[in-house]
Order: sequence, then structure tokens, then C-alpha cells
Amino acid sequence: MSTAGAPTLRVLASARVASAPESLLDCHGPMSHPRPTDEDEPTVVGDVPVVPSVRRQRTPFVLQQIEGPGAPRDYVLDLDEIVIGRSNQAHIAIDSSMISRRHMVLSRSGPEYTVSDLDSSNGVFLNGIKAHSAVLREGDTLQIGDVVLVYREGS
Amino acid sequence: MTTFVRFWGTRGSIPTPGHKTRKYGGNTSCVEVRIDDALFICDGGTGLRELGVDLLARSSSSVEAHMFFSHTHWDHIQGFPFFMPAYATENSLYVYGVTKDDNRVHRLLLGQMRSEYFPVKFSDLGSKIVSSDLGGGAKSIEGVMVRHYEQTHPGRSFAFSFEKNGVKVVYATDNEIDMTVLNADDILEHPEALRRVPEEFVRFVGDADLLIADGQYTDEEYPAKLGWGHARASTVVDLAVQARVKQCAIFHHDPMHSDHDMDEKIARCRARAERAGSNVVVFGAREGLEIKLD
Repeated sequence: MSTAGAPTLRVLASARVASAPESLLDCHGPMSHPRPTDEDEPTVVGDVPVVPSVRRQRTPFVLQQIEGPGAPRDYVLDLDEIVIGRSNQAHIAIDSSMISRRHMVLSRSGPEYTVSDLDSSNGVFLNGIKAHSAVLREGDTLQIGDVVLVYREGS
Repeated sequence: MTTFVRFWGTRGSIPTPGHKTRKYGGNTSCVEVRIDDALFICDGGTGLRELGVDLLARSSSSVEAHMFFSHTHWDHIQGFPFFMPAYATENSLYVYGVTKDDNRVHRLLLGQMRSEYFPVKFSDLGSKIVSSDLGGGAKSIEGVMVRHYEQTHPGRSFAFSFEKNGVKVVYATDNEIDMTVLNADDILEHPEALRRVPEEFVRFVGDADLLIADGQYTDEEYPAKLGWGHARASTVVDLAVQARVKQCAIFHHDPMHSDHDMDEKIARCRARAERAGSNVVVFGAREGLEIKLD
């Protein structure tokens, strides 16, 4: 695949993915959002110690692919604009004949992503509704062809 | 020919911002209908503010909008003083009444900007604001046939339909259709029976590609809200079934309903449509959702 002009990536290792997908994004097996652990170092803000278990951790925005070629796998959404399609030029490339080369795009604005259909042949279905565009919320399901993705909000 | 419908405000009665309403949204009624180059705005609840911001961001030229108000209760007009395109001299806003010389909406938009209510005078708005009407019947506006229908709501309210080249969108909020159900006695004995809606309204809605309709209450809530002017979501489903609607957006969400409550209500609506043997796609209107009809 060509990665000319590709954005800098944050790479997350995953033992569950046998071969790395041809995507510009991080991709790995089904994941849980990170949670504070006992191993966290205590922090002191002024004179006040912050208990590790209540310290806020940032969680990534994730698209979980639960059906379709390559499922199950998760994509961490690290970019402000993410094209999803069949083309290997897409940021998330999924090898399915039922999706368009550039099928849909996720665009980040502040703390949320918006999905937009890129005039695909088979459309984008948000929770079963054919949508041209929509602001995504936790747990939303996106179906494109035979591919089903679940959106997980980060912080 | 392409028709786009976008929801900017879906809540009924009063804005309900907060984490419990993030999915369906907290802004009050405002829907954008774009048919080719014609822009129609249904209601001016608080969602109208964000539509205004977006219009200015996406428009390279002046804004020309045809504004239809179901009625003038607060949650349908409150966004107007914050509608930024109203402040720019190059823009034109056509505000429609339903009968000839009906300037009721225009008057009340002006009235809510009296100094007791708002710091900027209506007369200081820079845009051209024109009071127009549907002449009591249907009117072709930029090639789009617009019709109206008087609904059941305290103080009156109107539904509007927009149709061009066989694509039809119906906006019908603040309508207690339960009050008009023809087989009310049967339903007392058989609550799951299809509630028959007057034929005139079925024809008005008939074969819509998208029906946007007030379905504020659950079946359990409705008995305590009789006469308040809003419908059971389940009755809206029955209307959609009878009118052979393709997609039905349940709208004007109750301010007490969280996203979780809404999900449950919509699931019950879908089950009801399925039991009726209908293919209508039922969903909850949510802020930020845009649908393309072609």
C-alpha cells in the first residue's frame, strides 16, 4: 500500500491480529478501554495527593468492527478525518465488494465525530436508518454493505 | 433532484441539554428541508440558532429561506432572535401563514422581540423579512408544492408537506391525533388494535417518503396528558402504517425522556409497526442526523 503523505500513527500492539490490516490507523483485536490500575503512580496537585483510582484517564475513540471481512477488530480513531472504504488508500481499508472504494468519512469536531456518506453505492446505515450524515454517539452502529461497526466514544 | 432533511432540534416543550439527552438532543423543534436549491425551515425552536450558524458557514452567497411555523408556542419560535442570517442585510426570509393575509406568525415573531423580552428590536434585524402565505391551499415555492393541514392542538397548529418530483416530506408536530382516532371504543377493549386516523389526514400524509411527527408520549404516560396537544408515539406508528409512509421519524421528544427512555420508546414503536405487517422504518429523530431522499 502507498503511505505517501500518511499521518503520523500511534501504534498499539495486539497479539490477536495475525496480519496487520492495510490501514493507516491503529488496528487491533477487540479491546477494552483502559482503566486506572493499582500500578498508577500517585500524583500530587499542590499539597493534595490525587488517588490513582479516581484520576481521570483519557480513553481513545474506537470503531469496533463486529461483522464483515476481518471482524472482529478495533480501530483507534486518532485522526481528525478518517476515510473508510474498499480502497487501500482509505484510512480504514476493508476488503469487501459490498462497500465503495471511499464509502464514508468520519470527521472530528471537538469531542465528537460526524459520519458522512461519500456518495457510496449502498449507503450508510446508522442504527438501521439510511443516513447521509450524523453526529455519532456512544454505541451507535454503522452498517456499510456487509460490514458492521460500533462506535465507542473516547474522552 | 435531491432532497435533504436535517434535524436541528427534536425536543418538545423546553430545551433539555445535558448528558442524559446527548443522543437525541436537547434543542427544541427545528428541521431543515432542502430540495434542490430551495431551503425550507420548519419551526424556529432553539435548534434554529445552530442552523443559522451552519447556514452562514456553508453559504458562499446570500441566504434565502422559506420559514414555516407549525404554531407560535415558545418551543417553536424561541430560536428566531438568535438566527444569525436574520441580522445580515443580504439575506431574505419568507415567513408563511396558511391563509391569505395570515400574518399571525410574523406578528408573534415580532412580538417576542419587544424590549420586555429581548434586547434587540425586530426592526433592527437587517435581513429582508417578508410575511407571506399559502393562500389557504397549496402553493408552489421554487418548484416545490407546499400544502398545509390543520391539526389538533390548543391554540391551533398546522402540518406542512413538501413535494417535488414524487418525493414527499411531511412535517406534522404538535398534533394530538389520539383525539381524532375513529375507533376509540374498540381500542379500549383491544389496546393493540390499529387506531384509525381520519381519512383526510391519511391522504395528506399518504405515501410520504418521510413523515416527521409528534410522538411525545408513551401509552402509559398519555392518559395523564389528555388535551395537552401531543400524541402517543404508538398512534403515530399507526398513522404511518395507514398512510403507507416509507420512513417515520418520531419527533417532539418529551423533556422528561432520557436517551435510554427514547431508545425503549422507539423499540416499542418498531415492534408495533412489525406487528401491523408494515415495512415502515421507524426511528427517533435526533439532532445532527441528515437524511437524503431520492
